[in-house]
Amino acid sequence: MIQLAMFLWLAGQSATADSAQQHLQAGLEARKQHEVELEIAEFRKAIDADPKFAAAFAQLGAAYMEKRDYASAIASAKRALELSPDLLVADQVLGYALLAQGYAAEAIPYLERAGAQDALGIAQIQTGQLTDAVANLTVVIAQRPNDPDVLYYLGHASGLLSKSAIDTLLANYPDSARAHLALAENYFVLRQMPQAEKEYKEALRLRPDLPGLHLELGLVYANSAQWPQAEEEFRAETKLQPGSAEAAYRFGSALLQQGKPHEAHVELERANRLKPDMPETLYTLGKASSLDGDAVTAEKAWTKVVELEKTTSLAAQAHFGLAGLYKKQGKTAQSQHEMKEFQKLQSTIGPPRSE
Amino acid sequence: MFRRFSRRDFLGSAVLAAAAPFFEVKALRGVNFLLQNSPTPHKYLIETMPGGVALFDYNNDGLLDIFFVNGGKIAGALRVPENFERSDSRYWNRLYRQNRDGSFTDVTQAAGLGNAGNGNYGMGVAIGDYDNDGYPDIYVTNYGKNILYHNNGDGTFTDVTAKAGVSGGGWSVSAGFLDYDNDGHLDLFVTRYMEWDADHNKICGGDWHTYCPPAEFPATTNVLYRNRGDGTFEDVSGRSGIAAKKGRALGVAFADYDGDGFTDIFVSNDGMQQYLYHNNGDGTFKECALESGLALTADGKGLSGMGVVFQDYDNDGQPDVLVTVLPRELYSLYHNDGDGSFSYKSLEAGLGALTSGSSGWGVGFEDFDNDGWKDLFVAQSHVLDNVEKIDASLSYKELPLLALNHQGRFERADSGVTTPLAARGAAFGDINNDGWIDVVVTALGGPPVLLLNRGGGGEGNHWLCISLRGTRSNRDGYGARVSVNGQTRFASSAGSYICANDKRLHFGLGSAAKASVEVLWPSGAKQVLNDVRANQFLEVREPEHT
Repeated sequence: MIQLAMFLWLAGQSATADSAQQHLQAGLEARKQHEVELEIAEFRKAIDADPKFAAAFAQLGAAYMEKRDYASAIASAKRALELSPDLLVADQVLGYALLAQGYAAEAIPYLERAGAQDALGIAQIQTGQLTDAVANLTVVIAQRPNDPDVLYYLGHASGLLSKSAIDTLLANYPDSARAHLALAENYFVLRQMPQAEKEYKEALRLRPDLPGLHLELGLVYANSAQWPQAEEEFRAETKLQPGSAEAAYRFGSALLQQGKPHEAHVELERANRLKPDMPETLYTLGKASSLDGDAVTAEKAWTKVVELEKTTSLAAQAHFGLAGLYKKQGKTAQSQHEMKEFQKLQSTIGPPRSE
Repeated sequence: MFRRFSRRDFLGSAVLAAAAPFFEVKALRGVNFLLQNSPTPHKYLIETMPGGVALFDYNNDGLLDIFFVNGGKIAGALRVPENFERSDSRYWNRLYRQNRDGSFTDVTQAAGLGNAGNGNYGMGVAIGDYDNDGYPDIYVTNYGKNILYHNNGDGTFTDVTAKAGVSGGGWSVSAGFLDYDNDGHLDLFVTRYMEWDADHNKICGGDWHTYCPPAEFPATTNVLYRNRGDGTFEDVSGRSGIAAKKGRALGVAFADYDGDGFTDIFVSNDGMQQYLYHNNGDGTFKECALESGLALTADGKGLSGMGVVFQDYDNDGQPDVLVTVLPRELYSLYHNDGDGSFSYKSLEAGLGALTSGSSGWGVGFEDFDNDGWKDLFVAQSHVLDNVEKIDASLSYKELPLLALNHQGRFERADSGVTTPLAARGAAFGDINNDGWIDVVVTALGGPPVLLLNRGGGGEGNHWLCISLRGTRSNRDGYGARVSVNGQTRFASSAGSYICANDKRLHFGLGSAAKASVEVLWPSGAKQVLNDVRANQFLEVREPEHT
């Protein structure tokens, strides 16, 4: 009698488990068909058939997530984890749902366990764990380099991390060269050039040998059209960093701006040797060498720009330069060809405007 | 005994010379003109553009008189047809007669030049003796209808616009008289900016709330009027080819750039390529700026062309072109290579360092220190009256630029102006007849400024001032090519921006006490005068017979 009763109970249990499993499968099938309500109904039936069916609770939570019913999703996922603490699906659902509800700190342990680095990174931004956020999102971006959401959050986290670091720098070391440098860069971005100049100068006073400072101060002067001062700063940077192609390029450009084509030519040649095939350097080298009477170098530089840039506005400018160069040399056909190329590009990319 | 001149002495004198301002900056005595541009929150683009000034001797007493163009009143939101309340005397144009003591008397009402019409918002002025009666006439450009005032020779003027047929319409800016067909009668060229009216205004800049750039509005055509010689003009814009191209023109200047005996026309356009109208000599023009190298910068970029001067800056006898522009561009200097083409020379001439942060309007190549090289003066100010909020490295009000010409390379000098201005017009002439070129600058919302040249740095240099008296050519001699001791000027009162300059041709002679003068008249007559005494005002009359 007892044996019979045991048999019937076991048989009943098995029938219940089979039924729950079938409803679970039906729910997952409904998900594929994007029928959320049917999905929820099937998962509920699975839970009715087996109230301790952790996987069904987890999937029900996932279904609620689809409906953006985060409160229900949290309840289902929590129940799943009570029943089966190692159920990663439930961790993931609970982590996402908590994050969606604004409970970033609470979401983090679940997202960590689930290995959901994208959402984890976002949660860490919200809790101020910026270094960890950047690390996690950097891993994700390597896997999904074109995901706009990840790109946004990585940029956002990096910006906040940068700001946080600078805030710490300014709060703890306000009189340091780096603090003045940070302030200067901020003013520069805001185009508040007098303030930027003041801060760069103070940074330079404190750390005259800091690489990049003269370059950045030179850019302040260049943006304010104070070319003699810009030239001096760029010159100082080239002395400090003789291997810097950018310093050489900026120095050459400042020399050219002041109508010193020969000196500009020499410096821009040097910039080109330090870092060959940079279109901006080559274009400016073309201008300087043309004004310096070195038509061979000008032609070579501008031709290279055209080869590198093909259809950009810089390529158009190089065509225009070549047209003028050939015209001066009496090479009418070549001049006309370059002018046509210039006009062709103008018609596709729009007429070039001064900045 | 001769004392060796030490390095310290040299530096000391250099510092003193550098410290001395070039001009004495003065208010014009007796002049109470206020340029009313009436800026509003509606940011009507016309508010940024006035006002012209002319230096001319309307009563032939030998003293330069001054005519100012006023803007108008914009009380609030405008609707077409606009009313600028020009009948209110605060918004009149003004004529000031110069007195013997250097002061000025307002003769506007007596001259009949007061009310310029309520529908007209004033812009610029051109001066020329269109009827060859010996008295200079006035042409005023407006947003609205332009006005030609005939000088009656008795201190009064008559509005002859309707009879002459030169009212134009739309938004006219700069204008100038020239004799494009060498028939001895001055013709008239009028630049027009864009198709705009108050009903089609726009505001740009988002939260910054700024005036819109020109590309926001449709381009339009310029106008050429041919003088029939009977007091009437014929609109030949279409027939001549001038209207074949639309633009956004602000400035105009004239010279015969290729020496073919016919006056050519350069037009500065805003935010696009510039135009050079080559005079074909048969009543038609061909726009050839791109082929000639004048259309774009050396980088192939368009210009925010505003003011323009078309004179020879490097004493090679060929008229060169300088166009004033907005910051981040450079004032564009185009050297006339003498073969019909021009080369962009801003960098070589030193303008890169001098001009890349400034906005230029009225401009002149004048020999302020009488050393034989034409110097550069530019009235400066940004277009946007709130530009500092948008870019803290720029300024709405600026000091004018004075740059001395050292054999083709320009170096900054102290103009003497210490208060930044929202400057627009700049007219050049020898106001006090002392042999040194002076400048009158107009400024939005303020009084004009006189920069009286005290010969700073050029003491001891000689000069010669030539008035042309055409007989077969137009009486003003506009279009003549005048060479003095290796320098050349092309006779015209046009150029700069919305202004008319003293038509007399001023030459600095350096240490030369005598000069050789050669005049090539528009009629083709060539006249040579040798051993001309320096430091005098000389009238050169065209021979009546070849």
